[in-house]
Amino acid sequence: MSEYRYVGRKRRTKEDRRFITGLGRYVADVTLPGMSHVALVLSPHPAARIGAIDTAAALALPGVQAVVTGAEIARHTNPILHGLALPGVRWYPLAVGQVRYVGEWVVAVVAASRHIAEDAAELVRVDYEPMAWVGDPEAALAPGAPLVHPDHGSNLFYRRTFVWGDVAGDFAKAHHRLASKVYWGRSATVPIETFGVVANWNRGNDLLDVWASIQMPKYPDQMAHCLRLPLNAIRVHYDVDVGGSYGVKRGIKHSVLVGYLARKLLMPVRLIEDRLENMVGGDMHGPDRRFDVTLAFDADGLIRSMKMRALDDIGCYPGRSPLQLAKPVGAIVGPYRIQSVEYEAVAVATNKTSQVAVRGFGQAPTNYAIETAIDRVAAHLGMDRLAVRRRNFIQSHEFPYRIPSGTDYDSGDYDAVLTKTVARAKLEALIARRDALRAEGRLAGIGFATCLEPSGGNGAFEPLFNPANDTTTWMESCQVKVDALGGVTATIATSTAGQGHQTLVATVTGEELGFDPDCIRVVHADSLQALPGNSPVASRMAIMLGGAAAGAARQIKERVLAIAAHNLQRPVDRLVYREGAVFDLDNELRTLNWAELVRIAHRKYHQMPPGMEPGLQASYVWEVPKGGTMPTADGRVQMYPCYSFECHIALVEIDRGTGQVAIRDWFMGHDCGTVINPDIVHGMSYGGIAHGIGAALYEEFAYDENGQLVAGSFVDYLLPSVHEIPEIALVDHCTPSPLTPMGQKGSGESGYLGAPAAVASAVNDALSPLGITIDRLPMHPSRIEQALADKRADMGEREGP
Amino acid sequence: MKAAEFAYARALSVADAVALLAAAAGEAKLIAGGQTLVPLMAMRLARPALLVDIDGIAELNGIAMVGDTLRIGAGTRQAEIERSGLVGREVRLLALAIGHVGHGQIRNRGTIGGSIAHGDPAAELPLVAVTLGATLLTETSAGAGEISARDFYLGPMTTTLPADALITRIDLPIWRGRVGAGFHEMSPRRGDFALAAAAAQVELDGRGRCRRAVIGVGGAAPTPIACADAARLLEGRTLDDTLIAAAASAAAALTEPASDSHGSAEYRRRLTAVLVARALKDAATMARAVP
Ligand SMILES: Cc1cc2nc3c(=O)[nH]c(=O)nc-3n(C[C@H](O)[C@H](O)[C@H](O)COP(=O)(O)OP(=O)(O)OC[C@H]3O[C@@H](n4cnc5c(N)ncnc54)[C@H](O)[C@@H]3O)c2cc1C
Repeated sequence: MSEYRYVGRKRRTKEDRRFITGLGRYVADVTLPGMSHVALVLSPHPAARIGAIDTAAALALPGVQAVVTGAEIARHTNPILHGLALPGVRWYPLAVGQVRYVGEWVVAVVAASRHIAEDAAELVRVDYEPMAWVGDPEAALAPGAPLVHPDHGSNLFYRRTFVWGDVAGDFAKAHHRLASKVYWGRSATVPIETFGVVANWNRGNDLLDVWASIQMPKYPDQMAHCLRLPLNAIRVHYDVDVGGSYGVKRGIKHSVLVGYLARKLLMPVRLIEDRLENMVGGDMHGPDRRFDVTLAFDADGLIRSMKMRALDDIGCYPGRSPLQLAKPVGAIVGPYRIQSVEYEAVAVATNKTSQVAVRGFGQAPTNYAIETAIDRVAAHLGMDRLAVRRRNFIQSHEFPYRIPSGTDYDSGDYDAVLTKTVARAKLEALIARRDALRAEGRLAGIGFATCLEPSGGNGAFEPLFNPANDTTTWMESCQVKVDALGGVTATIATSTAGQGHQTLVATVTGEELGFDPDCIRVVHADSLQALPGNSPVASRMAIMLGGAAAGAARQIKERVLAIAAHNLQRPVDRLVYREGAVFDLDNELRTLNWAELVRIAHRKYHQMPPGMEPGLQASYVWEVPKGGTMPTADGRVQMYPCYSFECHIALVEIDRGTGQVAIRDWFMGHDCGTVINPDIVHGMSYGGIAHGIGAALYEEFAYDENGQLVAGSFVDYLLPSVHEIPEIALVDHCTPSPLTPMGQKGSGESGYLGAPAAVASAVNDALSPLGITIDRLPMHPSRIEQALADKRADMGEREGP
Repeated sequence: MKAAEFAYARALSVADAVALLAAAAGEAKLIAGGQTLVPLMAMRLARPALLVDIDGIAELNGIAMVGDTLRIGAGTRQAEIERSGLVGREVRLLALAIGHVGHGQIRNRGTIGGSIAHGDPAAELPLVAVTLGATLLTETSAGAGEISARDFYLGPMTTTLPADALITRIDLPIWRGRVGAGFHEMSPRRGDFALAAAAAQVELDGRGRCRRAVIGVGGAAPTPIACADAARLLEGRTLDDTLIAAAASAAAALTEPASDSHGSAEYRRRLTAVLVARALKDAATMARAVP
């Protein structure tokens, strides 16, 4: 039985009632008197010089308040910051001088309604002089390739080869080397809610009020920088419900634009992207990555060393996206005991919309590359795929385990989780089912993936890739306040994009104080009131916000004990706190209850310990565990502190005639340490697996040979629906983290980090009897069927006369 | 994604609707269930000056059998067709196809007339109408008319229907005897428009040979196509795998598919052969089960 009363118990979440009954308050629900609406004129060209812009007809339309171009924005705002220092790459909300991708914002129209704004946007005439452009990242690196940013002089935004350990020696020692190449197609998280922002310049206080659908570290700081305002002249209201994100809700250009317009026009301005704007130019595409992986291994399956090259097509403006190649450095060997690694990370600009953070910040593609390489080793050696994994797993007694790139994994028991999952899946019976299907002439396959979810995010990838950045602080904070009637309110410093922070903080605070979490109120500060924090990215809030809440609640307990000690005239160490009351260990009858303690704190200064602050409140700002170190010169760094583990087993069947993949069964074993709320963790895993199935089989932001996005709406960007997602069986396991107050680790990316690899493994297993491998995600039916057709043609030829 | 400005009129009868259409001189568009037109208007791909709403017209609703014909009012909801016992008994092909139209929510609003009038080359209902050789009854202010579904489609979303005309009814032939039907499509996800679709209906004689057959293919040409020559191959013969494969490749040869991000032309052509074969197999199996 768990030692906890609320943590880990199946309890209703605090926020679901609000969402399910339609009582959420999203940015689109924020309406201010006299509010205007923005629509955008988008670039139809992948690259073109902007000539004259004729706004007269648009301005003449009744109801139009302003028509703004990039030239005006560039005069009054600073360029948006990048994660890398890139001279000559200037990013503004509206294109300045030239456009660089189809869908780039060129002109913003402000009008009394969104309808009128769209009418007016159609009347804006922009002269374009088309320029040469490049859509393929390999081509973009070739000499003489058209430059996405001519002033930068190159399409190469980042390249570095890291060598950790004796790669050459280990390669020389190994019996075998095997190279594989895989491609992770351009997909993303696609929340139901697009990006939205409302801003209002508060003239009475010289203050910009902002409501936005954001999940973005240092969002107010960036706005202040771009809008040339002091940080305390911006008030971001974090109490707006964010309708989904998993990384993509960055919205800096949207917010700078709307902030500028609100100040210029002295009226509230709102921009809610529509789906078309969102998909084509909302900066919401994820990694688009080619991998070359070579493993050096022995005949018994022991993997000694790995070389990986990852080339990412990051689109036009870098933002934070090149850093998505850096984060996987902290789990570059996955759950395996690989002794040395060479890692070449290459970020390339192309004439496509900009890449943004997506769930896992680059880890899911990397996991897919590693897992595929492991499967290939097994095939090469004729070994069982799980046997190769087990041969190389880091063992439970080896933690903390330092990987070659300098990160310590905190804890884990990979073998145990895999064993449990294999048992739950009845793997032998599953294999028998696969083989029975094969015997009927069908294509059936079983897939595996065993991966890590780094969690508790810090920003260690920033200094790793950008020497000009020496940020090592990645704190999170929480304030707990007991009111004069004994009620407990916790205040958090960030908005929530569906992670259930209210449940998290109430559960942790309730656990510490011994109160039912249902009685604890959790609110969001605005950015001026908030203590410092870094937003709910990087699978960090169970750890960081949970840790901060626990820290603040523990301080409350200490204060209460001090008050009791003073009033009961007993030493603190002879007192015990239990569910709000304090008892004397030596005399159970001597006790002070919560109401009395709170009254003393709030109303009876004469009974307070001398020098103690009146009232009962505490705040706690917590630095990420193991944070605060800079990378070494050879690029070793402690990345995230806590490592969750997941293993997937899936059975799929492929329709020979259509190439369509149907998923029959899915099992996922999961160890994210102590679970705080099982429904939230399981929900993350279900959604994460669905998201991963989407990336593996359905979703792709494909561009055509004219640089046009062909999947610019839900007609062509295919999100899996409930029909495509199988029943999922989750198998829980708990190896507590030694680094966190309750042993919790992250789970915000669970499922997604391994599901694409598992689908690929299963499809390739199904195709293996034919000697076909597919090394590109998403595995569209047409790609699979084409491979089958090619194979038939091949066999026909060889069997022919 | 906001529609351009438009005016709106609710028609109370067919006469009222055609009068409104005539008065608007080509600037009006009918709206029935709105499941196609509303998204097109939101994306400003359609910008009618006037919307004539025919959704509430009672005389456009209903399913009835008259002799060897099943009459379906153009305004009948797809969901009603799906639930109809009459359709299930008498026109099995339609019953098999209708569940592939979008999702339940869409079929709750979408109408058979709207789908047939819109004429998406991948849509199921136009395919069934073309395969079976349905008759479309129309009405203009000048009077009533009719046209065979096989002559109705000119290209993607283009038909011979005049701008001032309304489809009032769809008449589907009922086959009697040892009849079976099959419908197969490949859509990337359930509810999506098909990348290719195949419909087949056969009648067997007492000895199990094919007396008559129709085959239709959708999604693989600018319009749904009836593959008469492929169907003729089957007549008088036993529907075995070899014959079915021959008919399927004859049908596939008639296609002129386009390539897009979901699949190449060759892929769609191969799909067509696979799906036609599956549809024919189902049809033959169903027909054989009839005593
Ligand atoms: C998400 C989604 C998925 C879908 N998937 C599919 C699918 O898989 N397969 C499929 O076939 N369809 C699909 N559809 C379309 C759906 O079936 C529509 O309901 C149907 O195509 C149009 O019917 P409606 O009554 O809604 O017509 P409306 O949208 O009202 O009108 C469509 C067109 O038909 C015209 N029209 C309507 N009624 C008449 C009439 N009586 N006479 C003359 N012209 C008329 C209108 O002027 C308009 O041009 C999908 C729609 C959505 C939104």
